[in-house]
Amino acid sequence: MTWLDTLGGITASALEAMTPLLLAATGGLFTELAGMLNIALEGLMLAGAFFGFAAAAVSGSLLLGILAGALASSLIAWIYGSATLRLKANVFITGLAANIFAPSVTAVLSAAWFGTRSVVALAVPEPARPLQTSLGRIPVLGGVFFSQHSLVYLSWALAAGAAVIIYRSVLGTRIRATGARAEAVAAAGFKPDFYKLSAIIISGFFCGIAGASLSLPLGAYVPNMSSGRGWIALVAIYLGNRRPGRTALACFVFALAESFSNYAQGQFGIPSEFILAIPFAATLIALSLGTSAKNE
Amino acid sequence: MSRRLLPLFFALFLCLPLIAAPLKIGVFIPGQREGSPIYDSLAAGAERFASENPGSSVRVFEAGFNQAEWQEKLTSFVGSNRFDVILTSNPSLPDLIEAIAPFFPSQKFICLDGYKTGISALHTVLYNQTEQGYIAGYLAGLISSSALPGANPQKKAGMIIGQHYPVMDTLIAPGFEQGLKAVDPSFGLDIRVLGNWYDATKASDLAKSMIASGVDVILPICGSASQGVVKATKDLNRYLVFFDSDEYARAPGTILGCVALKQKELAYAKLAEFAQKATPWGRADVVGVKEGFIELLDRHPSYAQNLPQSIRGRMSDLIAGIASGALSFPAPRL
Repeated sequence: MTWLDTLGGITASALEAMTPLLLAATGGLFTELAGMLNIALEGLMLAGAFFGFAAAAVSGSLLLGILAGALASSLIAWIYGSATLRLKANVFITGLAANIFAPSVTAVLSAAWFGTRSVVALAVPEPARPLQTSLGRIPVLGGVFFSQHSLVYLSWALAAGAAVIIYRSVLGTRIRATGARAEAVAAAGFKPDFYKLSAIIISGFFCGIAGASLSLPLGAYVPNMSSGRGWIALVAIYLGNRRPGRTALACFVFALAESFSNYAQGQFGIPSEFILAIPFAATLIALSLGTSAKNE
Repeated sequence: MSRRLLPLFFALFLCLPLIAAPLKIGVFIPGQREGSPIYDSLAAGAERFASENPGSSVRVFEAGFNQAEWQEKLTSFVGSNRFDVILTSNPSLPDLIEAIAPFFPSQKFICLDGYKTGISALHTVLYNQTEQGYIAGYLAGLISSSALPGANPQKKAGMIIGQHYPVMDTLIAPGFEQGLKAVDPSFGLDIRVLGNWYDATKASDLAKSMIASGVDVILPICGSASQGVVKATKDLNRYLVFFDSDEYARAPGTILGCVALKQKELAYAKLAEFAQKATPWGRADVVGVKEGFIELLDRHPSYAQNLPQSIRGRMSDLIAGIASGALSFPAPRL
């Protein structure tokens, strides 16, 4: 295996690992731009992973699985948003509640539907790799960009679509205006809370697909399988200075660091504790550099 | 009449110590029973004992996976109930028991899968996981060296572990490597660490990376995250050997061997010993194949169907050698 093949393998793996991060961060970007801190990304992802997997297992349809994950997560986001906005609850507390609620409700439903609170592995349709047999044959680049499964391409399309909505649609403009000057939006005759709630529901939709992108390719639901990705996605939003392109780049940097750390564990005689810290250290350094550059 | 019955009452009085009194058993699970075969077997062993000894009762307490809370929860469990014995299982529990035992001087503890001597309220039984690792490593080495379609000539096997801990670093991993090298000294062992016990997606990525580097047999010890290893290994047509319980059904044809701990049987045996007041308090025992508490699950149909006779024969010879005492693997002190 040449170094180019190794580099290609690491990058291809990073693009796949980036998928749930990119989707969750894109969803979180809407709430961030609406002026709300959304710490519930982690729980919303987990709900999407469970409901997406359960629906795909029952229906035998990948598409229905993705939609069910997105809708279930959107529903939880709506409850979370309503509690925050209508009941004037502390956004941090309601976010924490959502993160506690998701693993609890999935455990209860998992026991009821599948007879176990633990790993559920069933035959579900796997995402296809539509370009693998055509463009995927191009040396190196084919393996990196054209051998990915369909959810990877879907995440790119959704992230691009989100950028268009944020900057080129009425809804996006009003969400950004709500985050920048809520009182001005209200003075113009619109309801800032409506746009905040819309942003939260959109973040639930994206997080649901992010969760489904974890469980469906694996063919299993594993409790806690979001494994902190929601928090990393939140960091990526700040690292990307709340801009879609930069947020996507931050997600890629983290995924690349993680993919490299997976590879490095088997190659160098460095203790695994250090290697496991690489993605987090890389994110921290990038965040620090980004902050200092912004301050200057 | 009462005079006639006196000898009978006297005889009954003399026999009382010979009749096993009903036991109140507390089972402290440092984790969750469901999805953890080792803890489920622990509780099942206690439940079997109680069902066969009328009047005995079992209360199972699941302390969850947050290790920082175990001591507090164990203290509450001991303090809020009156148990004759508390049965638990985990290498880190003996230290916690040592810390709380002075506050509950009459409470007795039996800890499986742990090792500590010199505490009068505690008896520990350690599985010889060097031996268990050796058996798994030997099987992995034979699979990797075979003509099976997923095997390659690179002499590399792998382990994906949740995290480093003393039993892993001093017993299991060295045992697995010894087993590999007993097949062929040129075998290399690639160990990769997940950092938790549930990130199945990352476990899948680690397995893919490992397989890309030439590994063809993997031993996953990473909790529920092992589902990711199973998926990647199955997709890439490589092989797995498993630890602790019967996992063949998860991926027939991919999981080629399981080296199980007979936790249910050991829990039952230790409670029976306690009921007979024969528990060696303060002592730490080590058990393995010879004692019947570590077993290669070689009677499972998957094992016979997917492994050639040449491998099965060599494994039978190995197990027979260990059982007879011709081969031994002293477990180093933890």
